[in-house]
Amino acid sequence: MNTRVVVALAAIAAALIILFVNLGQATQFFRTADQAVAQRAKLGHRRFRIEGTVVDGSVHTAGQQVAFVIESKGARVDVLHTGDPPQLFKPGIPVVLEGRFEGQHFASDRILVKHTESYKVQHPDRVSTTVAG
Amino acid sequence: MTRRATNILGLVALALVGTTIGMGLALPRTVEQHEYSRMIAIHPPLAWASYVSFGVTALASALYLWPRTRSRFWDLVAGASAEISAVFTALTLVTGSIWGRPTWGVWWVWDARLTLTALMLALLLGYLALRRVPGDIGARGKRSAVVALASALVIPIDHFAVDWWTTLHQDSSIERAKDTLGGPFVAAMLVGFVAFTVLYAWLLVLRFRVEQLEDRYEVEGLDVALAARRAEALPLREPEVVA
Repeated sequence: MNTRVVVALAAIAAALIILFVNLGQATQFFRTADQAVAQRAKLGHRRFRIEGTVVDGSVHTAGQQVAFVIESKGARVDVLHTGDPPQLFKPGIPVVLEGRFEGQHFASDRILVKHTESYKVQHPDRVSTTVAG
Repeated sequence: MTRRATNILGLVALALVGTTIGMGLALPRTVEQHEYSRMIAIHPPLAWASYVSFGVTALASALYLWPRTRSRFWDLVAGASAEISAVFTALTLVTGSIWGRPTWGVWWVWDARLTLTALMLALLLGYLALRRVPGDIGARGKRSAVVALASALVIPIDHFAVDWWTTLHQDSSIERAKDTLGGPFVAAMLVGFVAFTVLYAWLLVLRFRVEQLEDRYEVEGLDVALAARRAEALPLREPEVVA
């Protein structure tokens, strides 16, 4: 009985280690903008998620589309997003976009706002600190 | 633990949870998340409580498997704690989802942290189901303990997922608390940690008692039923003896 318990434990531990190692490769939830630029040829027209901080003053809305620039470690990517951006979308915050490279820009159809751990209190005596682009 | 002590523990737990909610609601708006930062008073503490309760299940299971400390007591503690952990894990997923919708823009994404937390809930429910599989009490205890120990590996993996992999979920709140969180946020979150830990302790005492009663019913139930039948049969037998 005891050996069987040990064998069962070892088997489950082995399964978890395999799962874990593979997860390590598969859980790249997004590529940062600099990684995506570096892998651009390899990515081609494949769909993937890209992450970067929305550059101040780069946001322009036109009809159903929003154009902006994201940046990560010095690499900049022009983005053309189709659809409504989420409520808290604004310049200066990191976002994760779903879509693909199309010519010179990244065509996005889904914006996820990725929050940092910053909990800076809004200035109490100002109406709003948000600057729309 | 006496009934009185349990009641005091319960009152303290509820008062602390109330304080946490009050402190959370009183938090100021933040630049990035506006009103939604207030979830920090509830969501991380719930996740913490789910880890603690699952951790206790693993510890009790190890003590049950270790021959020198093996007793029914540890098996019952493991079962009671896992059930509470499942509730806390479900609440973590629900509050996280509610927080994610306005701030990220989505209810759910399959990133490493969220996926592993969902896996944790599945493992807990599987473990609880396994405990209900009929069989010899000793064998059932050992089998459940082995599964609990193996499943508990998900706790550290889930916790470090945000550091090891790229996730939409933000990094660990506690470790960065000093640099990025203002005083009231840290205070509300820390009171939350204490509150949900005490709440867990109270629930564990109550759930353990129920578990003990269920266990007694299972072990002694047949004896009690037989004794009852015998008692019913007695008056019929007496005349025969006299005759």
